[in-house]
Amino acid sequence: MRGREGAKGRSVAATVGVWLVLGIMLVYVLGPLVFMVTASLMPASEVTRIPYRWIPNTFYWQNFWQAIRGNDGRFYFVRNMVNSLFVATAITLTTVVLSTVTGYGLAKFTFRGRKAIMLLIVATMMIPFQVIMIPLYIITTNMGMQNSYAGLIVPFLVNAFGVFLMRQHLLTFPDEILDAARIDGASEVQILWRVVFPSSWPAIATLAVLTFRTQWDNLMWPLLIAQSREMQTIPLYITLFAEEKFTDEGAMMATAVLASLPMVVLFLGLSRYFVGGARLFSAQKG
Amino acid sequence: MLSCEGDELRKNAHTRGICERRGRWGWAFVLPSLVFFGLFSIYPVLNALYLSFFQKHLLSTAPPKFIGLGNYVYLFHSPAFWNSLRATAIFTGGAFSLLVGLSLILAVFITSRRKFQRFLQLAFFSPAVVSTVVAAAIWLLIFDPRGIANQLVNTIAGTPGVDHNWLAAPAMLQLSTILVYVWKYVGYFTIIFITGIGSIPRSLFEAARVDGASVWQTFWKITFPLLKPTTLLVSVMAMIQCLRTFSTQYFFSQAGSPRAPIDVITLNVYYTAIRNFQIGRASALSLILFAIMLLLSWLQFRLARSEEVSYL
Amino acid sequence: MKRVAWIAVALLAMGAVALAANPVKITFWTHEDPNRTPLEEEYIRRFEALYPQVKIERVTYPSAKIAEVLLTAFAAGQGPDMFNLEINDAYPYLVMGRVAPLRPEWVGYPNVDTILGAYLEGTLDPVYRDGQLYGLPLELTIWSVFVNKKYFREVGLDPDTDYPRTWEQMMEVSEKLVIREGEIIKRRGFDFRYPYYLEELLPMVEQLGGAFLSEDGQTAIINDEAWLQVLRYLQQWGPLGKNLGSPTYKAARSLFNFDRNEVTMCSSGFYQIARIRNDNPAFYESGEWMVIPYPVFENAVRDMAAHYYGHYYMVNAQSSRETQEWTWRFIAYMLSNPEEYLTKAGLIQPRKDLLASDVYAAQPFGDVFAADMARSSMVQLHVANPEFKQLLDDAVKAVMLQGVTPEDALATLRRRANEVLAEYK
Repeated sequence: MRGREGAKGRSVAATVGVWLVLGIMLVYVLGPLVFMVTASLMPASEVTRIPYRWIPNTFYWQNFWQAIRGNDGRFYFVRNMVNSLFVATAITLTTVVLSTVTGYGLAKFTFRGRKAIMLLIVATMMIPFQVIMIPLYIITTNMGMQNSYAGLIVPFLVNAFGVFLMRQHLLTFPDEILDAARIDGASEVQILWRVVFPSSWPAIATLAVLTFRTQWDNLMWPLLIAQSREMQTIPLYITLFAEEKFTDEGAMMATAVLASLPMVVLFLGLSRYFVGGARLFSAQKG
Repeated sequence: MLSCEGDELRKNAHTRGICERRGRWGWAFVLPSLVFFGLFSIYPVLNALYLSFFQKHLLSTAPPKFIGLGNYVYLFHSPAFWNSLRATAIFTGGAFSLLVGLSLILAVFITSRRKFQRFLQLAFFSPAVVSTVVAAAIWLLIFDPRGIANQLVNTIAGTPGVDHNWLAAPAMLQLSTILVYVWKYVGYFTIIFITGIGSIPRSLFEAARVDGASVWQTFWKITFPLLKPTTLLVSVMAMIQCLRTFSTQYFFSQAGSPRAPIDVITLNVYYTAIRNFQIGRASALSLILFAIMLLLSWLQFRLARSEEVSYL
Repeated sequence: MKRVAWIAVALLAMGAVALAANPVKITFWTHEDPNRTPLEEEYIRRFEALYPQVKIERVTYPSAKIAEVLLTAFAAGQGPDMFNLEINDAYPYLVMGRVAPLRPEWVGYPNVDTILGAYLEGTLDPVYRDGQLYGLPLELTIWSVFVNKKYFREVGLDPDTDYPRTWEQMMEVSEKLVIREGEIIKRRGFDFRYPYYLEELLPMVEQLGGAFLSEDGQTAIINDEAWLQVLRYLQQWGPLGKNLGSPTYKAARSLFNFDRNEVTMCSSGFYQIARIRNDNPAFYESGEWMVIPYPVFENAVRDMAAHYYGHYYMVNAQSSRETQEWTWRFIAYMLSNPEEYLTKAGLIQPRKDLLASDVYAAQPFGDVFAADMARSSMVQLHVANPEFKQLLDDAVKAVMLQGVTPEDALATLRRRANEVLAEYK
């Protein structure tokens, strides 16, 4: 009796403790974002008020109109948004496919040089962008890809992190399933396509979100390679917009809020796989 | 079935044939990415390696001057280089341990909740939707002497009017950059951990529950051991990410903070190449960073391997 | 003025006849400036109409990023045909032979000396090398001090008589004007323009007889007493001293326009006036602001204003000879409208005719800026200036924020600056 009460007390304490930690972390993580959203609804003069007004007096929707319209009234926001979406989506697709294929090859096949390749790929993950920026620029411009979608996409078709992530994930993939498929006469490509891909949704969704996020935020490369405003992407738009309006934090935050919407939608769409995917995986195994 | 590992290969010609054929498929799957990495990653690195033995002004059209290990020797004698190593170590030490620790705790806590799982995931990942430029702008406003950070700390500590010098005092500045970085990436690694926890068969948790194991025991006996491949992935990733940090330090130093306390190697590379035009020296510096990352990752793989299961 | 422009156009037209009608494409990279963009796009349209074989592509970059983009492109041998950069950043391009000289006849002058004579004395020095000119100024700015008169009166000062003329007075007045909550400053008196040390800080040292480089350019940090006095002054200014301002507060010039009781004085250039008008028309009309000269130290040995801050249009030496010629013609065509640059974009081309014109005289506080220009000079240029700027930044922040003594900060500055110099010997 007493023991059970003690256990119950412990579990209540544990729940409180868990929520306390989660609560503090939520304030830390969401506070700056709430700041961004509220600031996007304020005229610049209120953003730097002391103390900060967490609930704006009036909603200053003009900020959003200005963000879309741009300072020059040419609505590059829309075009740049489309560019960002296209580029990030294309890169995400190629990354997911190539990473899964390569990760599968590294995780489930034995061949000479496998470990060396694995090391090589992990090593490329560590290359600071500043090191390869100029050679990359020379390669890309020599291929005639400057100021084009190809120039924005091709240098990022796949990344080492993706390969590493998929390999780590597929290491735990049960060999029996693969062998069963082989006995059924499936070719290696069929196995990859019909067995490995469908079973890897949680990892693929994770990789997709993380890749999309990285590309969505890529500033330096598009800055170098996309010269016309028609080819530029959203981070560049924000940078330019912020620079012209360096005193107008309100409008800048509105741009930021709008620019984060695609990420929010994507994440909401894929988030069910991260946890829900667990069942999918164990069902396959069972 | 056939594992095609070690001894089995040598057993007989038939097996060897199957394994070789299958090995060719392995190659075929790896090859496209390998070609890509060769062109867009490895070639540029070799180029940097080559340049690191030369003295070259970024704008000069004259052929670079070969100086052997001159750039490396220069760096090892330069106080700024050692300062950068220190700044990188402080930042990586702080941010890495917070990132790995917090994201593991958050992942376990989130998956242990029956409700709000998706909300919590979304909440912790949400800083990732904000672009780096904006994140810097937000945090610079927060850390402004008149900003929310001072307001919050002074309200909690009951010390009105104290300026905690978030962007000015060296130690505070280092803390601030770590806070921004952890804010940005903690959700990122939480998700990787959640995916990892998700791939642990449910039946194991259920069995543990039937056996009456406490949450604590379940974590140490089941979650943590089975999460090792993910933990290795996260810790290697987090460490590399931390060592590669650039934009937080860059924006802070542009916004009025002193550079020395946060002059991490990447920032030093940037200034050496873009402000000082010393492309050879910048290449040497970044290759040293590259070597540090390789060494630390190797150590992590070693540590992981020394425990029963092999992950590489 | 108009006549000069017409002559220039006529000369350009004559020169053009001599050129074959091969199609020419000019890439033109510049920093984002919302007031200048429509103006220059119009010039491009007109120039392309005049010379249909010429196509000009104008690309704008964020000004915080353009130096990097240009460096990468030039390092890869893919630089644009023309560009502009702040002169300290542009000077290395000149020294490294990456930019092409102009021929006077291309830009409508008989010889280089007449071009030199058309501009304010010394303002073409940075781009003049071995008898040739490698750039023409898009803008030359001088930073004077903007004052919000209301806050002066609020603390019992008469802005018209009590405005600070010396740095010592600047500190006294700022102590009266500052409003704090505990240690946190809510309103600053004056505050510096922190990253711009070569333009704003160096002249303070030079007022006291110091210099960054010796005249032969071989030694760095001349006259320790002058340097120490300035570093001590900044230490007093910062949060570890009298706590009047700091680089970590929002830039004073960004706050000035809003008139929100956050800053009383800031240093900025002529273009700030157009920004006040845009950001806060009511404040602009109120007449509650004014511009005063750059202060000097009481024990100054030289009367010096801030150094010029300049942008010059330059042409890529790797472009074909023909493209170079057309690019220079185009630059001259654009720059032949200095009054429009002044009135529509707030940019001052340092041309004698412009500064003597009625248009300039009609500009508010044009006289204050002109007077400061007259006691100003160009920063002593060195290919390592971008790096020197960084070293100065480290030194200032060391004394203001990190508690380093001025003596130690100066010793570090001297050591590092001389190391850099040694590399270029």
